[in-house]
Amino acid sequence: MSGSDVQATATAPRARTRHSAPRWTAVLPALAAAAVLASCGGSGGGSNSNANANAGTPVNGGTLRAAMVSNPDHLDPALAYSTETWEMLSATNDGLVTFKRASGNAGNEIVPDLATAMPKVSGGGTTYTFHVHTGVKFSPPVNRTVQPSDIKFSIERLFRVNSPGVGFYTDIKGASQYEKTKKGGISGIVADDKTHTITFHLAQRDGTFLEYLAMPFADALPVGTPDKDVSTVPQWRIATGPYMFKSYTPQGSITIVRNPNFHQWTPNIPNGHLDEIHVTIGVSPDQAVNEIADGDLDYYFEAVAPDRLAAIQKQYPSQVHIYTRNALLYFTLNGRKPPMNNVKVRQAINYAVDRPALVKIFGGQGTPTENLIPSGMTAYKAHHFYPYNLAKAKALVDASGTKGMAVQVWASSTDPQPEAAQYMASVLNSLGYHATVKTMSEGIYYDTVANEATDPQVSYNEWDEDFPEAEDYVDAQFNGRYITKIGTNDNSNLNVPSLNAQMNKVREMPIGPAREAQWARLDAEIMKSEAPIVPFMNRSFPKFYSSRLHGLVFNATFYELFPSMWLSK
Amino acid sequence: MSVQAPDLGVVDGPAAIAAPAADAVGNWRAAWRRLRRNRAAMIAGGVFIFILFASFPGATLWVHLVAHRGPNVQNLSGFIMSGGHKVPVVSDDGTPIGPGFRGEYLLGADANGRDLFVRLLYGGRTSLTVGIASALLCTLLALILGIPAGYYGGIVDRSVSRLLDLIWSFPVYLLAIAISACLIVGGLDIGPIHISSTSLLIPIIVIAVVYIPYIARPIRGEVLALRRREFVEAAVAHGAGPVRVMTREILPNVAATTLVLFTLIIANNILTEAALSFLGVGVSVLTPSWGNIIQEGYSTMVTAPWQTLAPGIAIMLTAISLNVLGDGLRDALDPHGARQGGAR
Repeated sequence: MSGSDVQATATAPRARTRHSAPRWTAVLPALAAAAVLASCGGSGGGSNSNANANAGTPVNGGTLRAAMVSNPDHLDPALAYSTETWEMLSATNDGLVTFKRASGNAGNEIVPDLATAMPKVSGGGTTYTFHVHTGVKFSPPVNRTVQPSDIKFSIERLFRVNSPGVGFYTDIKGASQYEKTKKGGISGIVADDKTHTITFHLAQRDGTFLEYLAMPFADALPVGTPDKDVSTVPQWRIATGPYMFKSYTPQGSITIVRNPNFHQWTPNIPNGHLDEIHVTIGVSPDQAVNEIADGDLDYYFEAVAPDRLAAIQKQYPSQVHIYTRNALLYFTLNGRKPPMNNVKVRQAINYAVDRPALVKIFGGQGTPTENLIPSGMTAYKAHHFYPYNLAKAKALVDASGTKGMAVQVWASSTDPQPEAAQYMASVLNSLGYHATVKTMSEGIYYDTVANEATDPQVSYNEWDEDFPEAEDYVDAQFNGRYITKIGTNDNSNLNVPSLNAQMNKVREMPIGPAREAQWARLDAEIMKSEAPIVPFMNRSFPKFYSSRLHGLVFNATFYELFPSMWLSK
Repeated sequence: MSVQAPDLGVVDGPAAIAAPAADAVGNWRAAWRRLRRNRAAMIAGGVFIFILFASFPGATLWVHLVAHRGPNVQNLSGFIMSGGHKVPVVSDDGTPIGPGFRGEYLLGADANGRDLFVRLLYGGRTSLTVGIASALLCTLLALILGIPAGYYGGIVDRSVSRLLDLIWSFPVYLLAIAISACLIVGGLDIGPIHISSTSLLIPIIVIAVVYIPYIARPIRGEVLALRRREFVEAAVAHGAGPVRVMTREILPNVAATTLVLFTLIIANNILTEAALSFLGVGVSVLTPSWGNIIQEGYSTMVTAPWQTLAPGIAIMLTAISLNVLGDGLRDALDPHGARQGGAR
């Protein structure tokens, strides 16, 4: 790949931004840990599960005292793209299908939600027809039943509000045109409220189309929902699930209460035990540990601060869980910017990074990796093209003729990203560059580095799972068709036509071992020949809960499931 | 932000020392005698000189003779001998080694495996450089604004006073954060000169600008009183122009007040640098400064408090020593100081 390659290529408007996951946000469990999870009696799973967390008979009622570190990104399903909000939306909103409310491999299964059954697939895998449940009602003040036209409206609305999820739906016939014009609707979605059916016609086969429909972006909102963020507009924060948002005060709190219009239409959507969830905003990880230990807090969305983990594991062993998560931490090397437009430089940096050392900066809470695909996925096949070798790295830099150039490393100011960026700067300095570090607030960081106008040479990144398939880690980030001016997912600007073609072909394959083998092969090929990023860690997720909180289930996509939780008296 | 004006102990009004230049030498000698008799001020001066020594030649000497590792050398995978045992500088769970009686890592390591004591010494170098340089710049700008304002009066005085009011109307830290946030993105361009966003000049300029009123106002007040004194009128009668009068007659007579203000503002500027760096809008994160070290240690304050305590104590000692020294200077330079219970 070269910078000129990138600029010469027409870019597809398929933007898929990562979860703007703060340092300790929730992510997903590893598929490989499924057996462990299952053996934990349906609890989230991990290396240190709370054996008593789910013991006993669930009790209905009570208010869960929860907290998070800062405001959620959005409470609007069309715009929400952070782990915390997906966690809450999985309890309040529904789409045609969903990921089964379970942990481990079981949680990767797609099951009907608003649809009465799985779709009828025809047209060689390009047509999906769903029959929609009758009698599912929107929460107050809408108080009417969900229609297929609401679902069509909700998906079209994604394009009108510039949702970060639009990229998942542009293969629907007419979607690309609608994205440009915002007029006339998407011709490939046919909703019939009389027969209660909705049909999707795709321009081409896509092996993960149902996964796209199971994400919160495709949740049903009533026709008439404004084409703007409704996070702070109570009358349009409409739910279909067992819970609904009662109030949201930014920098204050969120109150989630039971949806009076909810009646269980499918066993796939549990009824829930809690009466209310009160989320306090602005609680730091340290503060959360203290409050949970004192019994003043039940649940914290983010992970335990690394320096507190050892002590609380010793003191409160039954209240600590360490989940394996499919999170990839890496430094992006921007192929559009010198000296990163030289593959020798990108390979040199990969050789010069001591990955186990870098993992220590993250509290040792994870495992070193050189792969694009996280080790928890079944498609993962370890490769080791870049063993730590500073001499070889220096030789490559010498050969590139770029020694002495200025390089800036970007990171958010959320701990420990500045420390990681300083490590990367020291690596670059040891290779003969003049490295500096730029940090900024996490609230704006990911949008800033994904903008062509800023285009940093080297930037810290973290990719959490959108859906449980390796496509999310290979195609979504390294196919040149996803390069956009704003909100690009291909931050490295890798745009190699031969690789793009291979990825496009694999996306059409049905989910299964053959497809996974192709992603694994592409993972190795991209890293070996292009080295567009420096992957260094798959991160784990330690959590600390109050002793009265039970029913912990860690789902592959929706993270921790509030409807499963209950409080002992 | 409620912080507004630092208490510099000097207000608008008549000069502490307002004498013709001819008497100046005698006054300085008398002041030095008074200062030497002020034990607290002398101890404070000694502490400050020690901190200066430790931060400048001391830092270099310590690295070359004892620690053998610079302030930015990361050592995440290394081991050292401590208490007869080989221990990792940073353990697998990310816990850095703590303080111990040894040459290397005397105060332990930070999360990147850097020697905290070495960083503390070099951090002092940065913080003192920023503090002293910004105080110098601030004092220079304040003199440039304050003396003409007091000497000319009229529209010059009104214009300068309104400018000072404008700066003063903002809470200091809010103004500093706002200016810093703008400058740390793209740096500063002054004509053909470009100052990099990571340059120490950025915090120096920012801090100097926000504290101009605290020196310029007292200077202006003092010049207002001096401009009608006989020695000024005599100089004018002998044909001296305004520039000569301001530089040769007035400036020497505001030197004592300026010196006191300069000393006190250094402490203030060091605290401001620490605050801005802690908030991420001060010194570049790659450069050790006391504020940056506190910021880096903040997340482990419960389990590794020494990472924040050590630079915090250094800042405290520096600020106290400069404030006590400044108070002593004020007492020594004030001819009424003895009658008011000052040093004798």
